[in-house]
Amino acid sequence: MIKDPLDLTLKLLAVSMPAGLVAVFFVVPTESFQGVVQRIFYVHVPSAWVAYLAFAVVLVGSVAYLRTQDQRWDWIAYASARAGVVFTILNLVTGMLWGRPIWGTYWVWDPRLTLTLVLLIIYLGYLAFRANAPDETRGAKVAAVIGIAGFAVVPLVHFSVDWWRGQHPGRTVIRPEAGPALPASMLATVSLMSAVFALAYLIFLALGVRMLRAESEIERLEALSVDSLPVAGNERGK
Amino acid sequence: MKQVWTLARNELLCETRAKQIAPVMVVFALSLVFLLTWALPPGALRAPVPAPVAGAAGAREMAGTLMWTVVFFAAIAGFNRSAVAELGDTYEGLLLAPVDPAAVFAGKLAANFVFITAAEAAIFPAFMLFAGASPASLLPGILPVALLANLGLAAVGTLFTPASQHTPARSVILPLLTFPLSLPVILGGARLTSTLMIDGTYGTDARWFILMAVFDIVFVTIGAATFEFVIEE
Repeated sequence: MIKDPLDLTLKLLAVSMPAGLVAVFFVVPTESFQGVVQRIFYVHVPSAWVAYLAFAVVLVGSVAYLRTQDQRWDWIAYASARAGVVFTILNLVTGMLWGRPIWGTYWVWDPRLTLTLVLLIIYLGYLAFRANAPDETRGAKVAAVIGIAGFAVVPLVHFSVDWWRGQHPGRTVIRPEAGPALPASMLATVSLMSAVFALAYLIFLALGVRMLRAESEIERLEALSVDSLPVAGNERGK
Repeated sequence: MKQVWTLARNELLCETRAKQIAPVMVVFALSLVFLLTWALPPGALRAPVPAPVAGAAGAREMAGTLMWTVVFFAAIAGFNRSAVAELGDTYEGLLLAPVDPAAVFAGKLAANFVFITAAEAAIFPAFMLFAGASPASLLPGILPVALLANLGLAAVGTLFTPASQHTPARSVILPLLTFPLSLPVILGGARLTSTLMIDGTYGTDARWFILMAVFDIVFVTIGAATFEFVIEE
């Protein structure tokens, strides 16, 4: 019997995260060609996957919100966009730290890098819009449109930058035809770290939704108290 | 369809009477053209090249992106200006009228498409003249590129202009939303324009036409389907 899913997720994270870090730093062998730098892979790749997951959740939440007008879907989309931005930044920063010793430069205009940067700008735009939106309902509706359009543009940006130039390493883990191109220990470690990141994402999401619900409740109560106060000339009254 | 035509005609008629949008776009764009062609080696785009100007290859590689940067900023200036023009109760009026929001979107899209194309009619020849290229030899090749790119850019802009309208930071929010979302058509326009200047043909870059066409279809569809949520009060 699960009383509190968030509590359970936190406990799972508390166990799996130290295990993941031990695996990354002590268990998995050092890659022979790149050396110790390659270990950043176990943070870099999971953060990308979880960021994609988060933006897919934004899309689902946005479509569901526009269809049902149920505020809870909007909370899920908004909280997921925030979490997705965090994981995208983590992905970009770890990639740049890896690129400096391996490529000799922090940044190249590679399709994958460019696409990730565009993703980050789209969802930063989403957050910036929400922060400036005049009222909650309108902000939520427009944000949902951004959430849908943003995800639709992703495959197109991918093609366009791929046709322009490319340098990022090819797929190593998910290769439907040939199977993973890395040893079992590395595969196990990256899978474990992905689970850790997914758990962290779920916690961000749950806390984000909880916070948005609380904010909305506070606003409702404030509106109630202002309306019910018999004070003349109350500045908060509309 | 008749509604779309009426709405588009209304937008364009307002513009021909009031001249609120096009002058802003063109003047702003020409000052950018001046600044950006300043960066290129003189005569770099002159064709054919008997004795290539130093840096001509790099300049041609850049020229497409520079030209489309100007188009993007001119389009943003136009969207912002049209948002100001709409600050009255026009959307409420449109919502009260028995018109499908998708038709409102299509009408405004058509008008924005015309505005962008008109601005380009000033931007492209001016850019080419300042950079030493002959507009007559390049413009026919750029026309199909521009039509596809303009449709996509207009679709994104039409969708997000009313969205950003009532936000305090409108002039920042609009490009922040429009730029990443319109990137595929901007890149396509830039790439094809540069290729045309380098080779005189589209070459293998002709595949960008398909990408831009797909983008146009996706964004016109999304815009028509979601416009009601954007303008709803």
